[in-house]
Amino acid sequence: MIFPFATLEAKWKSHSQRPFLQLIKLFIDRAFHGSGDSESEELDFGTGLVLSLLALPGAFYSILLFDKYGSFLQWMHGDKHFDVLSIALSDEYFLIVLSMVVTGVAVVWRCDSIFPDRRDYANLVPLPISTRTIFFANLTAIFLVAGLLALDVNLVSAFLFPFVATASQETALFFLHFAMVHAAVVVLSSLFSFFAVFGVVGLLMSILPYRMFRQVSLYLRGLLIAYLVGVLCTSFAVPSLVGHLPKSPVRFLPSVWFLGLCQMLRGRASPALAILGNLGLMSLICLVGCALVAYAVSYRRCFNRIPENLDLIASNERPIARRIFASLDRIVLRTPVQRAGYRFVLKTLFRSERHSLVLGGFVGLGVVLASQFLFAAFSGQEMSVNAGSPAILSIPLILSYCVIVGLRFAFAIPVELRSNWIFKLLLDRSKPECIPLARKVLLTFVIPCVIAGIVPFHRYLGGWTRAALHAWVVIAWGILLSDILLVRFRKIPFTCSYPPFRESAIMLVVCYFLGFFAYVVLTSQFESWALLNPLRMLLMIPPTLGIWYGLSHARTGMVEVDKEVIFEEKPTRGFEVLDLQV
Amino acid sequence: MLEARELTKTYSSVPAVGNVTFTLGPGQVLGCLGPNGSGKSTTVKMLTGLLEPTRGSVLFAGQDIREDLVSYRKCLGYVPEEANLYPYLSGYEYLELVGLLRGMPPLRIKKRAEALLELFSLYPSRHGGMSSYSKGMRQRILLISALIDDPKILILDEPLSGLDVTSALILKNLIKALGQKERAVFYCSHVLEVVEQVCSHLLILRKGEVIAHDATHVIQSDRSSLESRFMDLVEAGDTEKIARDIICAMGEA
Repeated sequence: MIFPFATLEAKWKSHSQRPFLQLIKLFIDRAFHGSGDSESEELDFGTGLVLSLLALPGAFYSILLFDKYGSFLQWMHGDKHFDVLSIALSDEYFLIVLSMVVTGVAVVWRCDSIFPDRRDYANLVPLPISTRTIFFANLTAIFLVAGLLALDVNLVSAFLFPFVATASQETALFFLHFAMVHAAVVVLSSLFSFFAVFGVVGLLMSILPYRMFRQVSLYLRGLLIAYLVGVLCTSFAVPSLVGHLPKSPVRFLPSVWFLGLCQMLRGRASPALAILGNLGLMSLICLVGCALVAYAVSYRRCFNRIPENLDLIASNERPIARRIFASLDRIVLRTPVQRAGYRFVLKTLFRSERHSLVLGGFVGLGVVLASQFLFAAFSGQEMSVNAGSPAILSIPLILSYCVIVGLRFAFAIPVELRSNWIFKLLLDRSKPECIPLARKVLLTFVIPCVIAGIVPFHRYLGGWTRAALHAWVVIAWGILLSDILLVRFRKIPFTCSYPPFRESAIMLVVCYFLGFFAYVVLTSQFESWALLNPLRMLLMIPPTLGIWYGLSHARTGMVEVDKEVIFEEKPTRGFEVLDLQV
Repeated sequence: MLEARELTKTYSSVPAVGNVTFTLGPGQVLGCLGPNGSGKSTTVKMLTGLLEPTRGSVLFAGQDIREDLVSYRKCLGYVPEEANLYPYLSGYEYLELVGLLRGMPPLRIKKRAEALLELFSLYPSRHGGMSSYSKGMRQRILLISALIDDPKILILDEPLSGLDVTSALILKNLIKALGQKERAVFYCSHVLEVVEQVCSHLLILRKGEVIAHDATHVIQSDRSSLESRFMDLVEAGDTEKIARDIICAMGEA
């Protein structure tokens, strides 16, 4: 008698070799590993780490809730009848928003890898596989990726949050019901976000000419990220407005529709929320249908016409840009390498979608945070009253921090590593030009904005002294932050393979948070206190000089070989020496 | 002008190039030939200073290029084997980048770039992104970037790759003219007919070693074509028989 598992395994083996399944595997791999043909060009964390990072925000938030619900338990000691569902409403809403934002950002980021591109066309079309098979394989892969993302983003929080929130309840049935409803709603909201972004991109792809789509796509993706970050940052205010439904404008937010669905499934929805819950469900079904149609049309229009389409054309350099570069050459950019590098960095930064998105994401985050501080500063008060408040003073610090960190992050994203031969050939590696070049790029983004923005604003609010002092603080801090971020920098931006993110990704995020706290929160509070008596500003000088001395000491302490320009490419070894001899 | 002395390169104790020695004087066009894996690209990379030899040296005007690599590269124009260019720059911007990295004054960069773009029929598309360029256009940009600073030495690795008939003819004549202008040209190619036409001297490599280095007419000796002499030297085997065997292998189960 043949063991049935062996037969099944053999059947699966032969089935899995079929072109259709191989294509699905290829497209799923591409979604996680990118489509670049250069090994080190794509930011490839590996599927495991990508999935862990995506699950991290929900898990982190759920862990933070231990304290909140634990305090409740202490306070409610002996009382088992408090309403968990009401208390958990705001957290439930935040987790819905979080799952939508994380999924949406992931789709915006990986959009290029989800749609088949020129490389797929070149590799797959010559093979004896019909374009219909490629289409269905890609479509199946998209659905599988959507499902995987929705499950992964909510995997930890779907268990942890119900566990934390219902810890005080005696019955397991309550926990099960709570957990199932929560899991269903966050997974559906993730799917909604996935297909919304996917549908919008697909729609534009199907109606716009290819070249125009490529131009619009960048702005669209920037807008989508700004919207998602905005929704996340305002999510704490929304649950209190839910009570004002159906008149409240929050009824237009899809995240509120899914909150309505959640309350409906728990039998706690008001009539207005129930309507929104049904709307959420219906809109998800419609969205999947629309995304499918848009995808099918865009596939037909774009994939089949790839050979006819050219990539984005760089535009002619405008006279004003030429004049700006000429002025910078005279004033700021001292050497030919700096002039060449500066032009290369700026043009690549604004023309490469990946780099613009990264910078746009950081700037968007900065704008959202700054606007929240601004609202907090001016809420219900006269302008002059709060002019010296930490909230107002922190706005340029927030923006400059986000711009500098965003640019520094973008510098590490490579562009066409194989084209680096020109820098390798013509650059004098022993001359330390990288830090001055990178610093000049960072500061030309920050200093003109500080002078044009802060000085007139604070001159209007509090006079010349305050304006000058505040501008001095922001510029000095900007220079120091740039120097800290560039302390071991010895590459031309975009010309190096990725640094080992895998080992340091979480540490990096923690450092950025701590840096933000020191750069924005502590500085603005000190400044607010110091501006009451401008002489106090002198207290800023010792720490500034201390940091500056520390940095220059660290740089001079480096051996010569550590200052040389690097490209960090890992050579692909054509052969392996086994050294088998004894 | 340029001299390679016992150039040797080993990768993890596996030899890629061994004891390659030759000289390249002003006005010479030295053709480098060899089958795949014979060490041509490794030799080119050592000549440009992109790769450090394990042993031996490259001398320029009697001085080891490693002693002053920057000055040496100022005199060098290089066209690599593959046309890898930055996709977010236009053709003109790329030439500007190369010119600035070479330390050329901006006005001279502009004049030379525009003139060469015109002559290589790229002027109308000079502001187009290089991601939209065809292979031949990219190759022409590489040629212009190698010529823009009027170098004394030119190292060309498969420069005809992707060029149309007219551009290829222009390049062949250009190489001859450069030789007459006392420029030293190191020309790597698989196209024997072109090498035969444009090169005054030949360097033939096999398995990383020099098997012939002399004037083209001397290497050709009494043979009717360079091709048959080359096949003898590199011991390529019976190519017709190999072709027949391939046909047989294609028909097997």
